[in-house]
Amino acid sequence: MTSPRIVPFGDGALLVMLGEDTSVSNARRAQALAAAIGALRLDNPGLGAPVPGAASVLVPFQPLATDIREIAALLTPVVAAIPAEGDAVPADVPALPRVEHLLRVHYGGDSGPDLEAVAAETGLSPDEVVEVHAAAGYEVMFLGFAPGFAYLGELPAGIVVPRLATPRVRVPAGSVAIAGTMTAVYPHASAGGWRLIGTTTVRLFDPEADPPALLRPGDRVRFVPA
Amino acid sequence: MRPQPAAADAVLEVIDPGLLTSVQDLGRPDRGREGITRGGAADAWSLAVANALVGNDAGAAALECTLLGPVVRALRAVTVGIGGTMAARVVETGMLVRPGASVILEEGWTLALESPGTGGARGYLAVPGGIAVPVILGSRSTALGAGFGGFGGRALRAGDRLTVAAPPDRRTPPAARWPGEPAVRPGPVRILPGPDAIELPEDALADQPLVDGALADGALARLIAGPWLVNHASDRVGLRLDGPTLPRRLSGERASHGVVAGTIQLPPDGRPIVLLVDHQPTGGYPVLGVVIQADLPVLAQLAPGASVDLRLVTPGDARQALAERSLAFDAGVSALREAARWDDLWQGAGG
Repeated sequence: MTSPRIVPFGDGALLVMLGEDTSVSNARRAQALAAAIGALRLDNPGLGAPVPGAASVLVPFQPLATDIREIAALLTPVVAAIPAEGDAVPADVPALPRVEHLLRVHYGGDSGPDLEAVAAETGLSPDEVVEVHAAAGYEVMFLGFAPGFAYLGELPAGIVVPRLATPRVRVPAGSVAIAGTMTAVYPHASAGGWRLIGTTTVRLFDPEADPPALLRPGDRVRFVPA
Repeated sequence: MRPQPAAADAVLEVIDPGLLTSVQDLGRPDRGREGITRGGAADAWSLAVANALVGNDAGAAALECTLLGPVVRALRAVTVGIGGTMAARVVETGMLVRPGASVILEEGWTLALESPGTGGARGYLAVPGGIAVPVILGSRSTALGAGFGGFGGRALRAGDRLTVAAPPDRRTPPAARWPGEPAVRPGPVRILPGPDAIELPEDALADQPLVDGALADGALARLIAGPWLVNHASDRVGLRLDGPTLPRRLSGERASHGVVAGTIQLPPDGRPIVLLVDHQPTGGYPVLGVVIQADLPVLAQLAPGASVDLRLVTPGDARQALAERSLAFDAGVSALREAARWDDLWQGAGG
């Protein structure tokens, strides 16, 4: 277990590192901290919008409007109030309504070109990989990579595989993918190194909607074989 | 996508889009937690200069042009301000408009942005009032990767017609000249050490030079030894640097964390990537260094094939450089307003 550290990240940001591991528990701590830091912005105009990660929060600030030590001093008590790594973290810390999403997925074949390989690597049959992936419930840990791209955890140990050594140049929109202990859906066509096991037609990002991202931190997601 | 504003009020028509021309402002800095990149002008300084030349606020929406400039036609008389490193030529008169100058285009005239001179990659074209496209998620910027914002969520094409928002009240001289350097002078890019390149001291915020630590093979030392060449696979997402392969002893991915433009990442192949404005909001590669904010415009003007040196500085140096940049901009804007006042007096005197 490590205690949180506040370190400089260039001259316009600080990184608050809450732990080393990518886990739902650390992601909840990061979301809670980001929400608390976000609440400080009203009284501190030099403070930027915090970006929560898997086990950290990036805190941008305007270098000419404030001072790195001032920001660090502001953050210290807020960071101290976050539950320690390994302690139970309430699931509703981001103070957002938790929504349950059911995403229908076409697994395998052209819809999931890596399903066979994942099965071979895990010693399961393709049907068993689908069964394990769809049986688990996931939590949105944080968003990143692309607009509306939600990192979902945690994947059952039986189907944990590394990402591709060489990323694909183009992953189609709606691809359901796994890598390490996480699973996700690509909202747009993009390059990507995760293993593609299925496809959903659900629209994950709509720039005209409020909020634009369908999946929000803390939301629950289940995949349903179509 | 929302329909574009009525093209009947259009001011500029794109004759040739060039290599990559898009509508950009200062982007979406508050949306990182939704996975949305900041985006906006790659070189915010040059955007601000182009805008100042036509009386706009620094962050008004303008055209960002890349390497091979666009050709645009004025559908009615309009002043345009040119920023960055690309000059423009009025086709009908042959007049050359250098970066840091504005020019009035008469109805029907065409303006061709030329390839940047040595050491440049991007030009900016601003019109009074700014380019009128819908504000989406707080910005008029084009998010090229996800395909939203700006003009239909895409780079401009031949035949596109651009409208402008209401012109600002602020007066500028009809043929204004930016009083200082229009683009930030190319030179070594100054960096601060990143969290994975150094053994952080007990007081991580101390304003002192830090020595190479955690990547004990001296990755940071080699990074600043350079020189580096900008790889041709570079874009608004990031610059890929070719040079010595750096040791990467940290195995596997780190837990993904937020990153900023200027972050110098070290992927498994040992070839560093310097993130630009369209970077992903989070990343999991070790961070060797972060470019200081004052030098982000220098990064944005590095063309493929350009050589670049990275220099380690202290937080105090970074702060001073940014303060100087800010003062230089304010001085430029003041001088433009002063020139406009003299112009008014001249006109008023019947001259």
